[in-house]
Amino acid sequence: MAADMRLAAARKRAPGSLVSQDESKHLVAPGDVITTDTGFMRGHGTYTEDEKLMASVAGEVERVNKLICVRPLKTRFNGEVGDVVVGRITEVQQKRWKVETNSRLDSVLLLSSVNLPGGELRRRSSEDELAMRDYLQEGDLISAEVQSVFADGALSLHTRSLKYGKLGQGVLVQVSPSLVKRRKTHFHNLLCGASIILGNNGYVWIYPTPAQQDEEAGGFFTSTEPVPLCDREVISRLQNCILALSAHKVLLYDTSVLYCYESSLAHQIKDTLKPEVMEEIVMETRQRLVEQEG
Amino acid sequence: MRETPLSNCERQFLVQAIAEKKRLDGRQTYDYRNIKITFGTDYGCCIVDLGKTRVLAQISCELVAPKMNRPTEGILFFNLELSQMASPAFEPGRQSELVVKLNRLLERCLRNSKCIDTESLCVVSGEKVWQIRVDLHLLNHDGNIMDAASIAAITALCHFRRPDVSIQGEDVTVYTPEERDPVPLSIHHMPICVSFSFFQQGTYLLVDPSEREERVMDGLLVIAMNKHREICTIQSSGGIMLLKDQVLRCSKIASVKVTEISELIQKALENDKKVRKEGGKFGFAESMPNQRITAYKMEVAPVDTGDIGKKAEDLISNTEPPSEIIPSPVVRAPGTGQIGEGLQNSWGLDENEDGEEAEDQTMEEELQTMDVKVKSVNKEDPIVLSDSEEEDVVVLEPKIMKKEVKVQASSTAASKKKKKKKPAH
Repeated sequence: MAADMRLAAARKRAPGSLVSQDESKHLVAPGDVITTDTGFMRGHGTYTEDEKLMASVAGEVERVNKLICVRPLKTRFNGEVGDVVVGRITEVQQKRWKVETNSRLDSVLLLSSVNLPGGELRRRSSEDELAMRDYLQEGDLISAEVQSVFADGALSLHTRSLKYGKLGQGVLVQVSPSLVKRRKTHFHNLLCGASIILGNNGYVWIYPTPAQQDEEAGGFFTSTEPVPLCDREVISRLQNCILALSAHKVLLYDTSVLYCYESSLAHQIKDTLKPEVMEEIVMETRQRLVEQEG
Repeated sequence: MRETPLSNCERQFLVQAIAEKKRLDGRQTYDYRNIKITFGTDYGCCIVDLGKTRVLAQISCELVAPKMNRPTEGILFFNLELSQMASPAFEPGRQSELVVKLNRLLERCLRNSKCIDTESLCVVSGEKVWQIRVDLHLLNHDGNIMDAASIAAITALCHFRRPDVSIQGEDVTVYTPEERDPVPLSIHHMPICVSFSFFQQGTYLLVDPSEREERVMDGLLVIAMNKHREICTIQSSGGIMLLKDQVLRCSKIASVKVTEISELIQKALENDKKVRKEGGKFGFAESMPNQRITAYKMEVAPVDTGDIGKKAEDLISNTEPPSEIIPSPVVRAPGTGQIGEGLQNSWGLDENEDGEEAEDQTMEEELQTMDVKVKSVNKEDPIVLSDSEEEDVVVLEPKIMKKEVKVQASSTAASKKKKKKKPAH
C-alpha cells in the first residue's frame, strides 16, 4: 500500500502583492523602544523606562491620537464586556461554575447568570445549588457572553439568552484569539449547511444546523440524534478550512470562512490538511476578500 | 498555569480504548516504554528517559555531624523537584500535593528499605559522617514520574563515588579524587518502583501509564521491589478498592519487570565503566541524538508476518485476472500502421517517469517524420529503420505497407508479439 511521506520544510512567505498594505506596519518585540517622545499616553502592552516607551509584548503598534498601545499577535484572551466566548467547565463550585476560556484566569459563570427551566425570575434555592451538576458538569462546553470583568481580570459570564447555553454535538477548533474579528454577531448559519460560533476567545464551535429552532429551557438540553454523513463532511471541511486560515493568520469571520470553504471544494477533505493545499486555498480566499473590498 | 482540561470525547476515547485492550502508543497492557539511561561526566549524575518522561539525578556528598540519636550512621537526603519545563501545570514556589507524595514515596522506597549501608558512611562516630544528597529534577512529564525517578535515583547512587577516607589513630584524612580514586557506596540491593494504573473501578489495569492515561485513571498502585523479590514499599492511592488476588498479581508482574529493569541498569553501569576505563568519550554530550533531518528514524517495530502467506493466497484467488487487451493496429495515415506504441498501456504499470514520457513523445515525433520519409521509397523492399537487433520490420502485404517500428527497445516481448500479429484492415 502506498503511503504519503513528507519531509519538514520551511514555508515560503506569502507574496506581498496579495496582502493589501498601505504603509508598512510598525512591528515590535518585547523590549523594543516604541518612541522617546514623552507626549503620549501609554496603553496596553507598553511600559515606560527611562523616559522611553517600550513594548512589553510582540505585535503591532496602534496609535489613536495620543494613545499608543501594542496589539499582540499571539496572546491569551483578554475579555471585554459583550464578547461571545466558548468555554469548557472545569469546576463546579458553590453557586458557580469555573469555565476555561483560554484567558489568564478561569472565567466564572454564576448560578444566577444562567437560565433555569421554569422561567427566568425564579429565585435560586438551595435545591438548585445541589442540582448544579445536572445542568453543567465538568468537561461540558458552553457558549456564553461576558457580563463583566473582575478587578483581577477574571471574566464573569452569563447565558441569559436562548442562543447561549450548553453545546451539543459538534467540533471545537482552537485558534489564537487575535484572529477572530469583532463583529456584530458571532453566531452564523453558513450557507454550506453547518452553523458556526466564532468565540472571541479563539474557540470556534462548528455544529450541524438544528432542524428547527425550538424553545429549549435555557439551552441545556442537547440532542443526541445521530448526525448524517453529509453534515459531518461539511463540518470536517469547515474545520480544516479554519485550521488553514489560522495557520496563515487570516482574520476569521463568516465571509472569510465561507470563501475558504468554497475554495476548498476543489480538493478532497483529507487533502486540505496538506500544507501546499492549505496555501493554495488561503491564497484564493485572500484574493477574493481583496476583490470584495476594493 | 492550569492545564487545559481534557475534552469529554478524548476521555471517553481513552477509556473505551483501554476497555478494548488498546493503548494510544500501541503498547501491550504490561509493557514498559523504552528506558534509556545515560551518565554525565561526573560520578553520580544520570539521566533516565522513560519514553518521553525525563528525570535527572545528581548525587553529592558532604561531611557533617550525625544525628543525635544515630551517631554511627550516615545521613541520606532525598529531594525531588518538578521543574517548570516539565509541564506548564508545574509552578514555581507552590508545593503541590504531587511533589509531597512523590518525595514521600521515594524516601520510603530508598531509605526505609535500607538499600544503602549507612553504617559504612560513618567516618568518626558521633562527630563526622557522610551526608549523601540525592537531587532529582523532572525535566519532562509524560506520565509515571515515580518509576523514572526511582530508576534514576538508584542508578545514580550505584554510579556515585565518594572521596576516600583513611583514619590513622586520631587523624582523619580525606583524599581528593586526584590523590586517591574515589570509592563507590555500599549498596545492598536496588529497589525499583513499578506503577500500576486502574480504570473503571479496578476492572482494567495498565503498567507504566502515560500522561494521558494518568489523567483518566481511577487509582494508582505503586510497588517498590528489588530483584530478589522483596517488596520494599507498596502504596495504593486514588481510593479504589482492590481485591487481594489483584494485588498479588500486580506483585508478580512487578517482580518480572524489576528483573528486566535491574538488568538494564547493570548493563548501563558496566558500559559506562568500560568506556571510562578505556578512555573513550562519555557524558551527556555523546549521548544526545543529532537533531538533523537525515537522522530521523523510526524505532524498529515488529511486524506480524504470521498469516501473510495465507493472505496472499486469498488475494490471488479472489482477484480476477487482468483483462486481456489485444492491441489492434491503428492506421494513422495511408501506408502506415502502428501497434502498441503510444496506445493505452495494458501492463498495469503505474505512472511512467517524466523522462520516459518525454522520451516517448520525442520518439513519436520521430515516428511521424519517418513515416513520411518512407512513403516515398519503393514499397516492395523491407526497410529497416531502427538500429535495434530486436526490431524486425515485416512487410506483410505489398499493397499496404505496415510498418512495425517499435522504438522502445526495452520491451522485447512486445516486439515479438507484434511479429506474430496479423494486420487487421
